[in-house]
Amino acid sequence: MNAAAQAVTIVMIEDDEGHARLIEKNIRRAGVHNEIVPFTDGTSALTFLFGQDGSGQVSAGRGLLILLDLNLPDMTGVDILAKVKANPHTKRSPVVVLTTTDDQREIQRCYDLGANVYITKPVNYEAFANAIRQLGLFFAVMQVPEID
Amino acid sequence: MPITSTAFARTTLALVFAGALALLAIVGASLWLVDRTSENAEALVQGHQFRARTAAILSSMQDAETGQRGFVITRDEQYLEPYEEARARLVSQIAWLQEQTRSRPDERAAIERTGALIDTRLAELEAIIAMVRADRVGEAVALIRTNRGKRTMDALREVLNTQVDAIDLHIAEAIDATRASATALSWAVLVGALAIALFAGASIWLSVRYTRDLVSARQEVQELNFSLEERVADRTAELARANDEIQRFAYIVSHDLRAPLVNVMGFTSELEVCLTQIQQYVERTAEAADPDTLTEVRQAAFEDLPEALGFIRSSTTRMDRLINAILKLSREGRRSLTAERIDMGALLDAAAASVQHQLQAGDGSITVEKPVPNIQSDRLAIEQIFGNLVDNAVKYLDPARPGRIVVRGREEGARLVFEVEDNGRGVAPQDHERIFELFRRSGTQDKPGEGIGLAHVRTLARRLGGDVTLESTLGRGTVFRVILPRRADGFAARPTA
Repeated sequence: MNAAAQAVTIVMIEDDEGHARLIEKNIRRAGVHNEIVPFTDGTSALTFLFGQDGSGQVSAGRGLLILLDLNLPDMTGVDILAKVKANPHTKRSPVVVLTTTDDQREIQRCYDLGANVYITKPVNYEAFANAIRQLGLFFAVMQVPEID
Repeated sequence: MPITSTAFARTTLALVFAGALALLAIVGASLWLVDRTSENAEALVQGHQFRARTAAILSSMQDAETGQRGFVITRDEQYLEPYEEARARLVSQIAWLQEQTRSRPDERAAIERTGALIDTRLAELEAIIAMVRADRVGEAVALIRTNRGKRTMDALREVLNTQVDAIDLHIAEAIDATRASATALSWAVLVGALAIALFAGASIWLSVRYTRDLVSARQEVQELNFSLEERVADRTAELARANDEIQRFAYIVSHDLRAPLVNVMGFTSELEVCLTQIQQYVERTAEAADPDTLTEVRQAAFEDLPEALGFIRSSTTRMDRLINAILKLSREGRRSLTAERIDMGALLDAAAASVQHQLQAGDGSITVEKPVPNIQSDRLAIEQIFGNLVDNAVKYLDPARPGRIVVRGREEGARLVFEVEDNGRGVAPQDHERIFELFRRSGTQDKPGEGIGLAHVRTLARRLGGDVTLESTLGRGTVFRVILPRRADGFAARPTA
């Protein structure tokens, strides 16, 4: 993220804490130093994104990048994606779907709902670490719009 | 009890035969009876004729007498006319009477006596007429008065009556016989008709029962067919569901197993990074430390920890490969197949070309025996089947001799049979089925691999509606035989998820 977007917060919604930690470590290795806010379930992530009242007002003026796993214990990531893209305060925030599923229909559905990037978690760790590092490098150069 | 078709045919035939016999009996009896009736009728006619003739003879005699009497009284020749006529008639009548002696031998005496009496009377009449002509009227009257003529006539009448009586008796007998014959005929016809009706009835009853049996049997068959189709459809749906579930299960299991594995592997990497740092630190602080502690720390940092991490890494790598294999198979099972026309010659050539360089190193060769029949099936699946089989053949060649791999195909009815033959190390008989199972391998485990290839080949072949088998002699070589339908129209139930 460029200097202007230094305040961009990475919201990581990932139910596997080990994965979350490995993702964080590898993003950091790519030189990304933004704040990362991890969530292991959908409910608490939604509260963070849309506030207690669920209006999304709380996200106004925030710079957010959402890293989303589709398999969550309390809901599917697709629901969160739909809510994020439907809310006027969060709809411009880039959403990176990072999940194990490589089902074509699932991928299509995510892009239809407005997902910006869809990444299948590589099967073995080397590839996984590599992919996350590259994602980190990508984050370092991408523009995130400021949210009104 | 149901009637079998042979029993039905036999019984019906027997009944028809019996009916025909009854009909024949009726016809025979009728013919016999008609014959008898006509005999009786003949007798009847003859009897009546006889009566009429005898009456005519008597009347001729009376005419002769009348003529003679008139002449005697009037002496007029004209009165002799009836006499002359009667005499003329009597000539033929007497001739007929004499004939009767032949047909009626037992009446011969009576007939002869009749003839004699007629002669006697006619002679008397002639004598009287002669006397009158000679004007000896007195003599003639005296002769008449003797009543000899009347006695002769009475005797004649009596003898004729006796014969008529005999004839009448004969006629009565004939009538009785005819009546009896008619009655017998009626009975015979009645009994015969009854028998025919009975046989026909039995035959109809049998036919009706047989037909009803047939109809109900056909209905049963139809019902069975219908329920069978239903059952097959049900089972197919069940199987498809079960297959679907297994596929999904495999997919979920492999996905969910992989997530923690990524952690194990990831943190192992992290540990390795940490270990490097520890090792560097140990190296740097070596001189400052107490020698005993140093040895222990060194051992831990350079031997124990790397060994442990090495085992963790190799095991997780293996586990990762296995899970990937399951995932790959499950994906293959989920992939929807599309049939297209495939040039098998080109496809097999490509498969052979991909292993050519491996073979050339070991002086081996691979040939595709042309021509090979073309197939209509899923291209990717066919490519994977033959790719795997050819790879396998190359992988397990015997290093002691140059490898010879031959690929060929032929038609067998609606199916195509392809063979991949090698002269490699072969497969032990007890492993012939086992090597098609997932993660199972045969022989010396000196080659890399997870034991997926053949399981994959079999899964694919079966999904395409065929199968794969092998024939092998340990140490001599192996023939893998892939049997596929020439046209794969409906592929085996494919999961919808």
